[in-house]
Amino acid sequence: MPILSLLIFLPLLATALILALPTRYKSSYKYIALIFTAIQFVLAGICYANFDSAQTGIQDLAGYQFVEQLPWIRLDLGAIGKLEIDYLIGIDGISMPLLLLSALVMLMAIGASWKIQKSPKGYFALLMVLNMAVMGIFCALDFFLFYLFYEVMLLPLYFLIGIWGGARREYAAIKFFLYTLFGSVFMLLIIVGLYFSVINPLTGAHTFNMIYMMNPENYLGESIFAWDGYQEILGISARLVGFIVLFFAFAIKVPIVPLHTWLPDAHVEAPTPVSIILAGILLKIGGYGIIRICYSIFPDMAALSNWWLGLIGVVSIIYGALNALSQKDLKRMIAYSSVSHMGFVLLGIASMTAEGISGAMFQMISHGFLSAALFFLVGVLYDRVHDRNIYSFRGLAQIMPKYTGYVAVAFFASLGLPGFSAFIGEAFVIIGSFNATSIGTGLPRWMAIAGSIGILLSAAYLLWTLQRMFFGQIRLKGGESWGTALTDLSVREQLILFPTLALALLLGIMPDLVFSNLNASVLNLVSIIQQFI
Amino acid sequence: MDQIAHISPILTALLTVSAPLLAFLYQVVRGKRDQSGIISLIAITISFVCGGLTWLSIWNKPTISIQLAWFTIGKSTFTVGLLLNNLSTLMLLLVPTVALPVHIYSRAYMSGDRGVHRYWMYLSLFCFAMLGLVIMDSLLLMYIFWELVGFASYLLIGFWFTRAAAAQANKKAFLVNRIGDLGFLIGLAIIFAQFKTLSLVDLFGEGGLIYQCVLINGQWVSPVNSMDQIWLTLAGLAFFLAAMAKSAQFPLHVWLPDAMEGPTSVSSLIHAATMVAAGVFLLATVFPLFNDSALLFIAIIGTITAASAAYFALGQYDIKRILAFSTISQLGFMMVGIGIGTWDAALFHLTTHAFFKCLLFLSAGAVIHEMVHLKEHSRLDFDPQDLRNMGGLKKYMPKTFILMSLASLALAGFPLTSGYLSKDSIVISSFEWALSKGGLYFIIPICLIMVSILTAFYIGRLLFKAFFGEFRLLGQLQEGLQNHPLHEAPKTMLIPMFFLGLCCLFPVFSPNPLSYHDSWLMDGLLLDEYTFAPSHLAHLVIPLLLLSGSIIGWIIGWKWYVHHKYPLDPDSGIQKTAFHQGYINEFYERLFVNGTLKLAQFCYWFDRHVVDALVALVRFIVLTVSQWSVWIDKYIVDGFVNTVASAAYWAGNQVRLVQNGKLQTALYSVFLLVLLGLIYLIFF
Repeated sequence: MPILSLLIFLPLLATALILALPTRYKSSYKYIALIFTAIQFVLAGICYANFDSAQTGIQDLAGYQFVEQLPWIRLDLGAIGKLEIDYLIGIDGISMPLLLLSALVMLMAIGASWKIQKSPKGYFALLMVLNMAVMGIFCALDFFLFYLFYEVMLLPLYFLIGIWGGARREYAAIKFFLYTLFGSVFMLLIIVGLYFSVINPLTGAHTFNMIYMMNPENYLGESIFAWDGYQEILGISARLVGFIVLFFAFAIKVPIVPLHTWLPDAHVEAPTPVSIILAGILLKIGGYGIIRICYSIFPDMAALSNWWLGLIGVVSIIYGALNALSQKDLKRMIAYSSVSHMGFVLLGIASMTAEGISGAMFQMISHGFLSAALFFLVGVLYDRVHDRNIYSFRGLAQIMPKYTGYVAVAFFASLGLPGFSAFIGEAFVIIGSFNATSIGTGLPRWMAIAGSIGILLSAAYLLWTLQRMFFGQIRLKGGESWGTALTDLSVREQLILFPTLALALLLGIMPDLVFSNLNASVLNLVSIIQQFI
Repeated sequence: MDQIAHISPILTALLTVSAPLLAFLYQVVRGKRDQSGIISLIAITISFVCGGLTWLSIWNKPTISIQLAWFTIGKSTFTVGLLLNNLSTLMLLLVPTVALPVHIYSRAYMSGDRGVHRYWMYLSLFCFAMLGLVIMDSLLLMYIFWELVGFASYLLIGFWFTRAAAAQANKKAFLVNRIGDLGFLIGLAIIFAQFKTLSLVDLFGEGGLIYQCVLINGQWVSPVNSMDQIWLTLAGLAFFLAAMAKSAQFPLHVWLPDAMEGPTSVSSLIHAATMVAAGVFLLATVFPLFNDSALLFIAIIGTITAASAAYFALGQYDIKRILAFSTISQLGFMMVGIGIGTWDAALFHLTTHAFFKCLLFLSAGAVIHEMVHLKEHSRLDFDPQDLRNMGGLKKYMPKTFILMSLASLALAGFPLTSGYLSKDSIVISSFEWALSKGGLYFIIPICLIMVSILTAFYIGRLLFKAFFGEFRLLGQLQEGLQNHPLHEAPKTMLIPMFFLGLCCLFPVFSPNPLSYHDSWLMDGLLLDEYTFAPSHLAHLVIPLLLLSGSIIGWIIGWKWYVHHKYPLDPDSGIQKTAFHQGYINEFYERLFVNGTLKLAQFCYWFDRHVVDALVALVRFIVLTVSQWSVWIDKYIVDGFVNTVASAAYWAGNQVRLVQNGKLQTALYSVFLLVLLGLIYLIFF
């Protein structure tokens, strides 16, 4: 059974179904979306259950699982050679957990969309297209295919923010779109460069196959990105330029400081489900891209520039946390906290130790559903009174005890309380980046120590918010009417939140659920990069 | 008995830890439906019994440990395991022994509170975390429980979350503790980088990795790695930072006085007896890691803490705050014990302190309980915890008075009490330590002796003010105390207090009331050798000095506070500084809290007006350029096309004039064309 293709293209079927059904049946759209996403989740679960954790993946196609390879585009271009684009998908330890995470977050997003009123047809159709694109990104092993999914993803997001968003939705949508496009346009240049540099050893044709791009032997001697033949672009090593451009393309997604300003705007304006997807999946594509593409195709350059990556990570951690500390809008605060938490991912990746990279992956997974839960919780409040200002609320614990309980658990989980998943991620990023000096990767120890300050700051802004909004005597900006509008969590809301937070606890106690699948691939990646240190 | 002896200590230890966890889970599920707390009580009783059994089967017997693989990252496997040795089982016994009386006491003390189900839930969580912390065989797991303990403390301090002060205090406690947690995490990272394992057995067990380390050429070399030797000191200091926060050492002590916003029973268990001692326990566990400079630093910080907290205690009026500062001061003593290398003495003091400080808090709770009742009945508005509203309570609460006096004597280190033994063990050892080092090192024992005398004085002050003289609110109560009599605490509260009172006496710890060397506890933890020689003179002189100092202190206190011959100006700078805790909180507020907030605001400003402005600038530039190109397109590119077109149009129009049907015009045109042709032919 082509399980990955099924996983990727099921949502397209849902889109077709939603578009085909007349608007009369509009109440059924959300059920269609839900059912299809649930099937996807089950499929992803099957992948997880049948995943062989001993397989290495990364630069070895035999180490990938559930691989499907079909020749897709074959063009004879005469002098330039043969154009060879494959439909090549497969997963390894890096993409497997993220695939499962995406399916879960999508499910949450559908649950959060339950009360969408404004043209549900378009909404759910776009959501399903988005769903297809992100699944495709995590599975694609052909760079052309990857790029295709990568760009397709932007389209539904643009409309989802621009149509279903808040007051400044158009500004935010355009900002988001152009920012990301800016990165990916340059990425296209590098892809083309790689295409002309790499030869499929079997057919002798140029290829977009990422796996081939990871093997130095497949590079043409005089090509632009050749390993031995030193080429320059603007006086800089061509491979370094390629690495930097690809890094920035993905770093915008992560996002790194200072390329992060699209994120708070997009989050604040996006409707809750889109915020959930943005934080839960989109940011992870950045981290995934850096590992899968930047680090695997340019390991030599990764070893060269990891000091800078680490620095960017540390700056993002602290700068994001400080920004979160000064926010008055709850959603904006959580958006900035994402910047801070994703900084850990970058720091972990930059450490190039097994602990650091595993920690970064774990942090991505953990942040994926925790930030989704946080945005969902903000949405709960916003749904009821259409206000997100922290200072508009006080003493909520007395009006909404269940909600307060969930918020407290989610806050403590994201500030890295041991027992929850974020702790494992952050702790191992710190341990790994501290260990980096011993391995010789050139990441100084002070970066680990500076990164740990982010852990302190995250406690500061989250606990301060908890104190300001939930404790103390009741005082609401909207007075009496808010008091009645602020009902406690409904069953549907708890049905979404409970499994998410339970998962955070489960992964915090049994991190092996992620690590065991990750380990072989991470070790393989580390050993590849180790050669260049 | 044989049957019991055959139960595996590992099983009993697991039961000890898991019973409170199950109670916690039960309470989570049941929520408001179970307010009685009976399950928590049963759980802690099980812990008490099992903890006792574990201790019996381990004490002075070989260490037992088990490890199971937990997860693997890269090539390192992290284990989850138990380590049962004298140190950990002592704590495993101590924690439920203190917690059990507190649980019983709480049944009366907390009854009627609306959120009491949460109280039981949090209390069980705390017991679980604390018990887990002491028997874990991995620094990573210790760290996990270390933070969980802090989390439970956060919940309990903020138990009355509608009070703004409580909501402030729990946040403060958690954040200050987080600073320490960072130290722990960095210590962990150093250890992991150096040894590639976090297992306590592998690291600190017999012949463990830590003992295989050598210092060569300024390098700290372990069997698997080496780094600059500064990291050895830093590792020690990182763990000490963790202990400083948890054990409220200067300058991170600020959270503990504020933590008194929690229920008094919580203060007695968590913020006096157990959690705050976790720092001392941690340092004892990782003791072999410390080098001389780290140890000296610990001793110095301990001394400063002991002295400053005793000074602040003198200026407080809130009964719980006095006790809080007293706790901080005593923790300082324990730190000195660690710093001078006698961690067995520190652990001994930790144990005795747990009992008498818990009793002090519970007695204070009994007093506060009565004062709150009085406040509710009389509808007077006063602070039920303020010593200035008390006085003469001896008459109404004689049993509480006797128990509190007993605990106070233990705190002051009066002979025949447990405190005498343990405090002397630290003070005398520090003196001997200073003898071996000489010179400035004597500052530490001298400070400790002075602080001990101050301790006797401030606890005497508390007793005199609360229990002697006349009840100070008598004048304000309209019908005297007839309608709202103050009376003894209920039995449910008194019995646990009585039990703790027994544990304040010397026979529990040593058959010889005068020598700590005979204590079973010191015997069991006995270090192979102290780094300094014993001094018999110190054993004789120091106890006498302390005792006479304390008695003089009490006589002065009696005159000042009972006979109201107070000679000092309460508004003097020294007293005000003591009352305001040295203005340290204000200083932190200004420097760190406001500083961070200012920095945060600046960052946000920077984000909006620089980073995002750059994006806006790019947008502006692109838009401007595109406007220019629109202009160029419209007026130059298109303008040229239009010019050509209009020129053609104009020319056509001109030529059109020719076609008017008149012969003259036609001939004229032909002539003109021929003329133009001739001119062209001639000139070109």
